Amino acid sequence: MTPGTFRLRVMYEKDDRLAFLGHIEVINTINRCVRRAQLPFRVGNGFARRMSIQFSQALPVGASSSCEYYDLALTDPLDPSAALSLLREATPPALAPVRASYVTEAQGALEAWLTRARWEVELIGATCSPQDLVDGIAGVSSAGSITYMRGEKEKTLELQKVLVEVFDARPTDSGCSFVLDTRACPSGSLRPAVLVAATGLSYDSIRVRRVGQWHEAEDGSLVEPM
Amino acid sequence: MRAERKNLFGLLEPLLSHVEKPSRYLDHEWGANEEQDGPFHVCMVYADAYEVGQPNLGIAILYECVNEQVGMSCERAYLPWTDMSALMRDHHVPLLSLETASPLASFDVIGFTLAHELVFTNILEALDLAGIAFRADERDEDDPLVFGGGPSAWNCEPIAPALDAVLLGDGEEGLVEMCSCVRDAREDGVSRSEILLRLSRIPGVYVPSLYEIVVDESSTRWGYAIPRKTTGAPEVILKRCLPDLSATEPVPQRIVPYLGIVQDREVVEVLRGCARGCRFCQAGMTYRPVRERPADQVVEAGERGLAQSGHDELSLTSLSTTDHSQCAEILNRLNGDLAPKGVRVSIPSQRLDSFGVEMADAVAGSRKGSLTFAPEAGTQRLRDVINKNVTDADLDEAARNAFEHGWRRLKLYFMMGLPTETDDDVTAIVESADRVLGIGREVVGRGRRSKVQVSLSVAVFVPKSHTPFQWAGQLDPEEVRRRQSLLLHVPRDMDIRIAYHESTTSTVEGALSKMGRAGFDLVCSAWRLGCRFDAWTSEFRYDLWVRAATEVGIDLVDVATESFSLDARLPWEHTSPGVSKDFLRREWHRAVDGVTTPDCTRSTCAGCGVCPTLGVSNVIAGERR
Repeated sequence: MTPGTFRLRVMYEKDDRLAFLGHIEVINTINRCVRRAQLPFRVGNGFARRMSIQFSQALPVGASSSCEYYDLALTDPLDPSAALSLLREATPPALAPVRASYVTEAQGALEAWLTRARWEVELIGATCSPQDLVDGIAGVSSAGSITYMRGEKEKTLELQKVLVEVFDARPTDSGCSFVLDTRACPSGSLRPAVLVAATGLSYDSIRVRRVGQWHEAEDGSLVEPM
Repeated sequence: MRAERKNLFGLLEPLLSHVEKPSRYLDHEWGANEEQDGPFHVCMVYADAYEVGQPNLGIAILYECVNEQVGMSCERAYLPWTDMSALMRDHHVPLLSLETASPLASFDVIGFTLAHELVFTNILEALDLAGIAFRADERDEDDPLVFGGGPSAWNCEPIAPALDAVLLGDGEEGLVEMCSCVRDAREDGVSRSEILLRLSRIPGVYVPSLYEIVVDESSTRWGYAIPRKTTGAPEVILKRCLPDLSATEPVPQRIVPYLGIVQDREVVEVLRGCARGCRFCQAGMTYRPVRERPADQVVEAGERGLAQSGHDELSLTSLSTTDHSQCAEILNRLNGDLAPKGVRVSIPSQRLDSFGVEMADAVAGSRKGSLTFAPEAGTQRLRDVINKNVTDADLDEAARNAFEHGWRRLKLYFMMGLPTETDDDVTAIVESADRVLGIGREVVGRGRRSKVQVSLSVAVFVPKSHTPFQWAGQLDPEEVRRRQSLLLHVPRDMDIRIAYHESTTSTVEGALSKMGRAGFDLVCSAWRLGCRFDAWTSEFRYDLWVRAATEVGIDLVDVATESFSLDARLPWEHTSPGVSKDFLRREWHRAVDGVTTPDCTRSTCAGCGVCPTLGVSNVIAGERR
């Protein structure tokens, strides 16, 4: 971080119908929220003179979250609670910031630093049992890799690297649900919908919510972002 | 029958994960008016995709004007993209407003923006999705009143049967009066036909059903409109015109979209109207007189708007921003305040002279992408014909100035098919570009690293109503293609690039610009055959338009290329922007003679008739350069 600037980390939610915003739309919206809040943000010296701000990894369109993050470079060390209050007033409720604090230790770019994620996944209209679901994912996992289309590009992920754990499978009123832990690696990240689609199980729609993000240290321990 | 007013977002939500850009349908944007209590409900509709409609300044202005009224609420609606409309039809979901997701058919008033002729099929698509009858005379007593207004209201006949009423000119006061009229009439319990009669008594309001079309020896084949007997409707409807723009809110757009839209920035309308008198320009004739906002208001509004919205760009918009008498002062003050915050100020078009370049330089700072000028024609002769009061020397000087200020890429806009155009005029377009490129190389150097480049964009001229060229026929598409080929085959430097418009789109636009009310059958037929989003190159289907024309017994090319006699009664003569037909006729003769007419904000009155007819005058904040 440039000397004389202060790295404010903000945790925010992505909820309700705004779950359907794409990542670029979220970035643009939060840029405008910061400007409306009139925080003393740093402007880069590049050709476009953009706000210095970094975001955590993109959420799939349609997925909600209780734990998204951005790091904002400030030129004055405004009290975090005051900054949070100003941001809340300037942000649509469905993207509400919930916590803010300064990052003091050296960390890389937020997107690359947050390598672990936890997801709550619900399959609406699924007729399978929770055990069928666990077995189905185990079957996919045992194949070693998963190949899928992202837009017009074919992508392959090695599940050993990106799939950490599946647990807490249970029936719900409208289908069944489970919790999924994933790891981001340089070759990509596992999206819950891709994993579920690979099982071949039948369902009407999928509801995905990111409920945790961490940095995975070299010893495998998880470091909280805030 | 009026639909029930209730929030149907729950029907739309399951479809969102199956469509491209679901954020088109979300609402809940920052600044959207969520308090829609009414009890009188209006929905403004821009019948195109959200990203095209949301930046429309007209809708933004009217949205605020109606929402300010006690007891009135205004919402927005846009046309769902084809993937969403197919799903909506499959799942029986009607067209909904954004703010409350209420069925369009549940509103008291629906207002369509007539942005251009190619939006007409989209208006029918919106009505169909909403479950509202296409023809005004087929609607039930309690159905919503369907209004229209905007730039293409000046020949709205091809869509007029779908509209209960059309507002001509500035809408700030007129729309509120129309809504009040409908509200009061509904409270009085009068019939729909009585409501239409009452609407026709409001200045600036055209009620198409109160006029019949007469075709006789004095008219073109499309006839002319006269009031039906006993209706008391005016023979000629004069436009509404705000005498003082500074009395209106300068920051009308308060909604900050989530989706990247075509003009994603804060906007202040710095002036309305343009008196340069370009003879092809419909806006130049129909938005007169010129009304500037004072510099203090523009600067205050820009800074306030940015603080409210959080945008990082401010656009000072108008038909000709660098003509504002205090343009330099405005830009200097705004730049001083905003540059440290990483906010960019932009102006939509540059004047073709040194002052224009100075102003462009003032807003560009170190960001010098490309600079655009619009000489419109390649020779002085043709520029005199169209009354584009610039010379080769102006172009050369502006180009030299631009290269000296650091620009390396210049974009030049031209039109093809202007009246009296010859092959020499066409080849001179490339010669102009060659000269500009030469100036660039002289200033910057010839080496590869100089990166001097000139891009030409050549559009096809479409004659528009209420302009001095309204009598002209459009150039035959075959001839357009020959001239485009001629243009491309003129030897040119590889650093001159040429882009041109498809002649087929212009043919449809040209035909709809000329037709009278009979054009509605063509629009209906085209819609039935599947024409939608005609202004989108990816969606435009000329083959379907040709089939539609055949179905209704006309030939598109024949219609678009037809010239009208100067004495003929024209299909749009019952509507007037205040510019007299005599003036337009005189301008036509001067065009043919190659005589220019000066700008009345810098010279004497040109006698267009607007000021005495409408009781208004130019409002210039300072002194124009």
